[in-house]
Amino acid sequence: MLKVENLNAGYGSVNILWDICLDLNDGEVVAVLGSNGAGKTTMVRAITGMIRPTSGSVVFNGEELCRKSSRHILDAGIVQVPEGRQLFTDMTVLENLQMGAFSKETKEHFQENLQKCYQWFPKLEERARQAAGTLSGGEQQMVAVARALIGMPKLLILDEPSLGLAPNIVDDILNVAKTLAKESNISVLLVEQDITKALAAADRGYVIENGRVALSGSAEELAANEHVKKAYLGI
Amino acid sequence: MDVLLQAIVNGILLGGFYALMGMGQNIIFGVMKIVNFCHGEMLMVGMYLTYMLYTYAGIDPYLALPLVALIMFLLGAGIQHTLITPSLKTKSFTNLLFLTVGLGLLLSNGALVLFGSDYKSIRTSYSQTNIMLGPVSVALPKLISFLVLIVVTIALFSFLKYSTTGKQIRAVSQNPVGAEVCGINVKRIYLLTYGLGIALAGIAGCLLTQFYSIYPTAGASFGFRALIVVVVGGLGSIPGAFFAGILLGLLEQMSALFISPSYSDMIVFITFIVILVVRQLLIMRRR
Repeated sequence: MLKVENLNAGYGSVNILWDICLDLNDGEVVAVLGSNGAGKTTMVRAITGMIRPTSGSVVFNGEELCRKSSRHILDAGIVQVPEGRQLFTDMTVLENLQMGAFSKETKEHFQENLQKCYQWFPKLEERARQAAGTLSGGEQQMVAVARALIGMPKLLILDEPSLGLAPNIVDDILNVAKTLAKESNISVLLVEQDITKALAAADRGYVIENGRVALSGSAEELAANEHVKKAYLGI
Repeated sequence: MDVLLQAIVNGILLGGFYALMGMGQNIIFGVMKIVNFCHGEMLMVGMYLTYMLYTYAGIDPYLALPLVALIMFLLGAGIQHTLITPSLKTKSFTNLLFLTVGLGLLLSNGALVLFGSDYKSIRTSYSQTNIMLGPVSVALPKLISFLVLIVVTIALFSFLKYSTTGKQIRAVSQNPVGAEVCGINVKRIYLLTYGLGIALAGIAGCLLTQFYSIYPTAGASFGFRALIVVVVGGLGSIPGAFFAGILLGLLEQMSALFISPSYSDMIVFITFIVILVVRQLLIMRRR
């Protein structure tokens, strides 16, 4: 459903991503792994149109999305949970979720999707009228995921969901992502530094080093790979 | 006692204009993080606009109010689109400082060329009408202005709190990256916000014409006071701006009454500096 080919992108005259190739099938959880500064977030920003790639192609369900506006890409069904959550901290949880409904369709289905989100994350219903900034880190990450789900994604991109969270909360979030992929047929692109947890949740993975795809394979293959073990897992 | 009451009422009525100016400056600063240094000049443009509509088209200032607000909104959106949006890309505070200060100079000198430096005024049939509220006498235009201010404040507050566009404005002001992730058109919100801020200055200018002289630098003192209102009232808070504006008006009238009218400007700014310093000390102590 998503096919990224030879994607090059960067900031100003500095190129960060070099010929990234990556593909993702319906209902699949694919991990993009790499250390800090490898170019993972730049890749997310390039795919979602928040920066303009210099060259390459991003085909999603048959449509070329490379160099399209971020809004156009959202409408096509690629919704991200950005790194650092990027919530509206002085607005209530409910208002944050309302902001996730960007199109006519998502506005019409808001109530039913809201109920679904409350089922995924019951805490959010209790906290609906509370300012998002007063929530714990884990709860804030739940708001960020729920806000993206309100946008009815076909492809959900999770950028560093584990950042600054307790391990059990990371497990919860990753479980939701996994279940979503299997039950609702939403594909998930999981961008992570925590390689052990990401590989446990993903079907396949790509390892990015210095802006290039260094390795790819099934989750089991990557977990068993000598280079991955040495460089990332410390074994 | 009556004199004191009179000064209090005058202070509240004058403070209403500071509140109106402060709210406009507040939403512009809140959303775009730029200080609009030509805010006072925009009030002056609103005054001349009202003056022209009254003198050449015979439109009563209060009937002209929606028209003035609309024209000022379009002017603001136009300036945002052609000048500020390109300048925002530089991410340079100095750039925007020079841009808005320069715009202000351009506007006040433009008014000087077009209308000359003499004081103009609008005298309607009810300009001199006074209404007695108990022992206090209030000019009818001032009273109407204050009622308009209250309506505008409530409307603005509800717009930002409950409407989708209002929520989007708040979202952009709190987290522009998050807003873009949610598909909010940040540029459009900037356009709306700057237009809205300028429209508020225009409304203040329009209301002022009946009891304040119209001249090219008439907006300057209001522009400076708008900055005080933003700092004292708190960023992003419409009720805060409202009460800070009223307090500022009261302070000015009280110092005019108890000390001397010629010192009131000085006292306002000394108080402001004291507030800034004390607040900074409190923040440092908390750390």
